[in-house]
Parts: sequence; structure tokens; C-alpha cells
Amino acid sequence: MGLINTILGKLFDLLLLPFRSLNPWAGMAFISLLTGLLMLFIYRLTSNQSGIRRVKDKIKAHLLELRLFKDNMGVTMRAQGQILRANLRYLALNLKPLLVMIVPLILILAQLNLWFGSEPLAVGRPAILKVKLKPDVNVLGTEFALESPPEITIETPPLRLEESREVDWRLKPTAAGTFDLTIRAGDKSYLKTVVVDGRRLEKVSSLKVKRSLLDEVLYPGEKTLPGESRIKTIEIVHPAKKLPLLGLRLHWLIAYLGLSIIFGFALKKPFRVEI
Amino acid sequence: MSAMNRREFLRRGLAATTVLAAGGSFPSLLRGSGRRETRTKVLVLGFDGLDPRLLNGWLKEGKLPAFARLISAGDFRPLRTSIPPQSPVAWSNFNTGTDPGGHGIFDFMHRDPQTYIPTFSGSLSTESKKVLKIGNLVLPLSGGEVKNLMQGRTFWQILEENEIPATIFKIPSNYPPVPTKQRTISGMGTPDLKGSYGISCCFTTDPGIPKGELSGGRVYEVFVIGNRVEAKLPGPTNTFKKDRPEALIDFRVFIDPNQAVAKVVLPDQEFILKEKEWSGWKRVQFGLMPTQSVSGICMFYLKEIRPHFKLYVSPVNIDPGHPALPISTPESYAEELERVFGSYFTKGLPADTSALDNDVLDEGEFLEQDDMILREGERMFDYEFERFDSGLLFYYVSSTDQRQHMFWRLMDENHPGFDPQLASRYGRTIENIYTEADRFLDRVLQEIDKDTVLLVMSDHGFNPFRRAFNLNTWLFENGYHRLRNPWKQEEGSFFDNTDWSRTRAYGIGLNGLYINQRGRERDGIVNAGADSENLIREIAAKLERVVDPKTGERAILRAFVARDVYRGPHLEHAPDIICGFNMGYRISWDSPLGKFPKNVFEDNREKWSGDHMGAPEIIPGILVTNRRVRAEFPALYDLTATILDIFGIPKTKEMIGETIL
Repeated sequence: MGLINTILGKLFDLLLLPFRSLNPWAGMAFISLLTGLLMLFIYRLTSNQSGIRRVKDKIKAHLLELRLFKDNMGVTMRAQGQILRANLRYLALNLKPLLVMIVPLILILAQLNLWFGSEPLAVGRPAILKVKLKPDVNVLGTEFALESPPEITIETPPLRLEESREVDWRLKPTAAGTFDLTIRAGDKSYLKTVVVDGRRLEKVSSLKVKRSLLDEVLYPGEKTLPGESRIKTIEIVHPAKKLPLLGLRLHWLIAYLGLSIIFGFALKKPFRVEI
Repeated sequence: MSAMNRREFLRRGLAATTVLAAGGSFPSLLRGSGRRETRTKVLVLGFDGLDPRLLNGWLKEGKLPAFARLISAGDFRPLRTSIPPQSPVAWSNFNTGTDPGGHGIFDFMHRDPQTYIPTFSGSLSTESKKVLKIGNLVLPLSGGEVKNLMQGRTFWQILEENEIPATIFKIPSNYPPVPTKQRTISGMGTPDLKGSYGISCCFTTDPGIPKGELSGGRVYEVFVIGNRVEAKLPGPTNTFKKDRPEALIDFRVFIDPNQAVAKVVLPDQEFILKEKEWSGWKRVQFGLMPTQSVSGICMFYLKEIRPHFKLYVSPVNIDPGHPALPISTPESYAEELERVFGSYFTKGLPADTSALDNDVLDEGEFLEQDDMILREGERMFDYEFERFDSGLLFYYVSSTDQRQHMFWRLMDENHPGFDPQLASRYGRTIENIYTEADRFLDRVLQEIDKDTVLLVMSDHGFNPFRRAFNLNTWLFENGYHRLRNPWKQEEGSFFDNTDWSRTRAYGIGLNGLYINQRGRERDGIVNAGADSENLIREIAAKLERVVDPKTGERAILRAFVARDVYRGPHLEHAPDIICGFNMGYRISWDSPLGKFPKNVFEDNREKWSGDHMGAPEIIPGILVTNRRVRAEFPALYDLTATILDIFGIPKTKEMIGETIL
């Protein structure tokens, strides 16, 4: 999984490179367009195009039947039944392409979450670093330390929360850039990347996770913690990034799904894809 | 429901602090129609309570070089204050160019003659009259209202009519802001989110601190269980519910078992604090009913972790980013400032003097909070000063007043609250705020151009509050006030032991005395006209002769008769007599609340130790300007006429001041 994440990470770095100083909507629109095209392509390859065409024609025909014979109760009831059946058939025909598409889509969403999910930390604004520990670690009996470069001030001693098996620190960045923090738990040390300010579109990894397939898929921003690590996750609480639209602040997922659907439907004709 | 409608809906529901239904949202950069460029500009710096004697003293010692520079280029005069010299009254004099007879504000408190209960003089909130009740839910169908009770037109409204732009920063007596398209943000008189003048909270495990309601605050008992504290932060009254409970936010505090550090976890945010650290502003959202909530801002201060946990939470201020109540004109101006500066103090007098009085904050902690207020205000001034290219800019500083109230005891060895140990540390606090004002003035002088008229002013001066005078006890002892059960003299409040059928006079407010007049008061017994007039004169004369047995000094220098000293038509709330106290004296803490302590005089041992309830002639404010002043002893309302005159606008017929430059 690590290799796939690395390749995908590099790909998204490259794709979004021209958009990093622009309004985040530009990068979002570009990725949505590419994703729309990719999904159309997958859909066309994996779906039964003639079957979909046939079932859609059937639905249209029964809808016409409904309009023409609206006074005949028997015909309209039968037509409605046929429409329902055809719809179920249509859903069944979509199942296969959707199952195929879901794999790349999850990977894409995980990548997009790195770019559009969180704002980098701001210079001068404090943030919390949270280290979640495995159940067998003695929270109060283990020595914890945090080391940071001069651009990141560690403002508090470790705050140990036995109940939630967590150790927290408060950080305050004093300069922009990407930095590494070193967390020491007993005799082991672990790295966590922190991004401070920067361009309008920055890749931000909030959560570093231990090695497991699901976590690696969902949090691909950093190398995973080793399997034998005492630490479950290392998180920096970033402010959520929102995309401004007409006075509203949209979650990136809504923007992405909306734009992808718009692009998908706009391009289905030129690419002769029956959806 | 759209964002706008939602806000509107919320406003209708907010209890004693119901809201303006009107008041459009104007882009803040459009100051209104017909903005006229003016060659001459007027910059007014309002330092509340700056005292001419103190100023003179430190001027002579060379500690105020910027003031000295300004005075040598222009003039310095004591500025005649209002009767009585209370801030809402004095600033209303300045705002409208009239005296209380013209603007109708006579005291912090007025009284309802039908109930003999004190009421706020500055604003009146009324709730929605039409509501729909469904079970425990109460849905407002019409808008409530919050009204500024100051009568007359303010100078910035008159400037607007003459197309002169103005920005008015936190001028007192402007809550809710009077209707205008000028940029204004409300100041003294603006409530917290609960609709009060500020209720702070202290959550503590300390058994030595009394729990419950204090004046201006509450102390809650909490328990540390497993290094965790659970508590509820109180918010506004939930008027969407029939039983009107307080809206509450659950929060938890996690404490490190050894280190002096803790994490505060609110429903949608968390932050870490070290002991003796302030959190900065935190936005809190109080749920009122499904889909409806109201936003406020507050600061947390982790005073102590061990041996006793003590967490202070400031009064919840109205969130300027989503103001639930009207605090600016145009409405978007408060939001504009929030976008530029983040959350900021919106409560009228933001320094929590009650927390210091109640020992919830100590002197150092209070000063830390007040420093935040000062710095925040200065940043906002810089922002406005940067774009001040025409018309008038008014900027207000409250810290000069608040620090003199709270720290006088530490520079006055004769004060009953003098503490030599504290004095060695904080005895120069008042001097420091004067030098701070000087430093600020210095920055302004460096940037001001020759076409700008600079008026540095204060609404009144200051003097010590050493001895407290129980006006109602004096009235009782002199037979003007009767109690039903005299042996219960010291019990109760709000005149609940008063025999109104035999009472001729009573005191409410900080300077006011009222005759229990037939036809005006609910149970009035003194006939209007000659009877009332004779009684007023008799009491006034006696009051001026009252001598404090401890000091041999007169307590009341002047007992003003309202009809002799006020001009204008708005005398309906005027006390019949206004007490002008002697230096060192003030009304007691209990008398304004309709109480009757045993002794007429008592020492004031509170931390609130400086005040300004004296006779106006002994407590003038200041006027320092870069122009020559023609008048020997100008008054606050003269400044109003002068400002209009600078822009070539004649004063209105209601205004009683004269041009002085």
C-alpha cells in the first residue's frame, strides 16, 4: 500500500502543482474534470452500454405509455410496474461499474483530503499535537518528549491523559514552511510532519497512523508508524479548510462530488458514454 | 431556512435582549449617501475619567511629554462635566450637545415610579409580543425590540445629514447604536450575551471560596475526578422554552497528574492552557432549540490547578462575527472588524472589575485582562486612523476609568482599603495608565496633519471613594422615609420594608433622590406643587449640612434641585434632588438598592476605591487640544457645538453649548 500511496501522492503533487498559488477552486475544478473523465472511461469499459441503453429506452417507452393511456387504470398500473422493474434492472447494470469505480475513487478522495481537508497551521496561532498510545503503554510511567525545529515553539509540557491514552502538546509556529517534529516515547522516536502557512493550496497531513491497510488507504499523507510502535496515531489539529462560495463555506467533498457529476454529465455525450 | 432568516428568527427569540428587526446590511465601505470630503478633519480621543489634577501633577513631573507638547501647541482646560458626573450622563451630554433635560439620561439607574424598582437608564429591551406556544416550545412571531433611551440627535447623526463622514468607536451611551449610516460600534451600555452588564464564571474546587451568585459573577463548585473536571458554561436565557432555562454548554477539563497544564474540551474545539494562562477568544455556540443556536465569545483563564482547581471564564460577549444583538452601524461594520482582527471585546465596559472585587481575579490578572483590552483597542484605532481621510474619528478608551476605580486605594494612604504590600507593587497603576495614554497620544501626534483638529477629552475627573453615605438610612433617621418594621431596618432590599403611606422621599441610583409624589409615584403622598417644592428645598438644604462625624467634613457639597439645573423637555425620569458628593465621599453600595444599613456613614473597603459622583465643580474632566480655546471653563456640551462649527454646521436649537475654539 505504501508504494501505491507514494505513486498517487507524487501524481497529485504533479497534477496540482500549477494550481498551488491559485484559488483552491481552480485545483478542485481541474481534479474534478480529470476524475469525471476517468470515471466515464471506467464506466464505459466496465458497463454494459447496450444493456443500459435498452433499459433506459424501455423506461422512456413506459413513461410515454403513462401519458398516452392516463385514463386507463390497468395500463398505467402495468406501466408503472414495468418502470419499476426497468429501474431495478438499471441499478443492477450500474452495480458492476460502481464497484469497479469505488476503488480508485477512495484513493482519490484520500489524496484530495490531504489537499483540501485542512488548512496549514498559521504562524503565531497555537495548535495541538496529539499522540494516541496503544493500550499496553503505561501513559504515566513512560517518558515523553517532543523536539522541534526553532520555527516551531513547544509551549507546554506534555499533557498526559490516562483515560484517553493520549499525550498532548501545544505548539506555536513562528515561521512558514514544512518541518519535522520528533516525538520520543521512552527510548523510541517518531517523526511527524507539520506544514505552516505557505501557498493557497498546500498538502497537509493531519494524521500519521500505524501500519494497517484501512488506515494506510485513508491517511496516505505520511509514512506509517512501524507496526511495533507504542503509538497508534500522531495528529496535529489543523483548522478545517472550506471552499468559499457565495458567502457559504463548502466542505471540499460537496464541491468535489458536485463538480465531478457536472463534468461527468457534460462530457458523456462527446465521449459517447451512456450513463 | 436561509442564513439571514435564521438570524432573524434567533433574534426574535432572544430574551431580555431582543433585537432589531430593521437595520439593513450595508456594505461597510459605503458610509452612506453623499459622503463629502472635508479638508479639516476632527480627531477626538475620549479617555474616560482622565483627571485634570492628576494630569497636571504628572505633567509637572515631566512624565507626560506628549501631553505637554500638545498643550504647548494648543490649550489645556478643565472640562465641565455633567450633573451628576456619571459616564452615561456625561457622554450623553457630549453626544447630543444637551444636558440630561435634553437627552433624558440622569443616572446609570432610573426608577419605575409604579414599583420603586431601579431600571437601566440607557436601553430598554422588550420581547416579542406575539408568540406561538407548542408544548414547551415558544416560537416568536414578531420581532422584539431593544431601544436606546437617549433622547435627541447625536452629533454624528447631524454630521451625516450634512454629508460629513464619521467613525465612532465605542462611545458610551450608544447601545443599541442610534440609527445612522456612519460607522459606529457601541460601547458602554452594551450587554453581554446574557443581557447583563457582565457575568463571569469561576469553576473551583476550593472549599474556601463561597459558591453561588456574586455581584457580576458566579462561582461554581466542581470536582476533580480522575484528573478530569466536568462543568457547564451558562449562556443566555432560552426564550424558546416555556420554562426559560439558561442555555448551557457542557465542557470538560483534563489535567495532567503532575504538570501545571490542562486541556479544555468544548463541544467543537479544544485547547491547552498552562497555569496562569489566558486562552484568547473562544467562540461558543449555545443551542436554543433544534436548528437554532446563538454564538458568543469568551476567554478562559486557568488560574490554578493545584492545590485547588480554579478556572475563570469571562462574561460571554456578543460574537462580533455573528452579532445576535445590534452592536454596530452599519450592521456589517462589527463583522468587518471581526474579519480583520478576529474576535474582540464587545461588552460595554470590558474589564471585569467585579472579578477583581470578588477576588476571582487578583490585581495582576485584572491588569493582564485590561492590557488585552487596551492593545486590542489600539489595533482597531490604527486600522481606522489609517483610513481616516475625511470628517471625524472618535476613539474611546475605558481603561483610564476602570483602573482609577480599582487602584485608587493603592496610591492613597488615607484610603480604608490601602494595603502597603499591594501598594508597593501596584501603587503606580494609575500613573502608568496616564503614561500609557501619553504614549498613545505621542503616536497620534507623530502622524497627525496640520488640518486635523485634535480634541483629547475626558467625561469627568476622579477622586477617592473613602467614605460611603447611606442616603436612605439618612432619610429614615431624619423622618423622611418610614419603615413598616423599623426593628428590621437592615433586612431586605428594594424598599420591601418601606411604609409608602408615610414615606416622603427615597433614594435610588448613584446620586438621585425622589420625592414620593402623589400622582407620579404609585403610593405617592406628597402633593405636587408647593408641598413638593418646599420638601425638596428643605431636604436639599439639610443634605448640604450633613457632616461625617469621623472626619468632620461635609458629605454632600451640593444638593442640586433638578428643575434648577436642567434644561430641556425630557425631565420625566429626573430625580428631584441630585447629590453632588464631597471629595472622598460617594453613595454607599447598599443605598441605591433600596437598603437601610445601620449607619449613615461607613468606610469603603472595597477594591472599587476611586469614583466620580462628586459635585461637578470638584471633578471636571479635561480638554487638551491643538487649537486655542476661547472659553475659560468649557463644558462637555460645548464640544458638541464646536465640532459642528468646525465643519460649518450651525448647532441645533436643542443644543445648549457654545463654540469654544
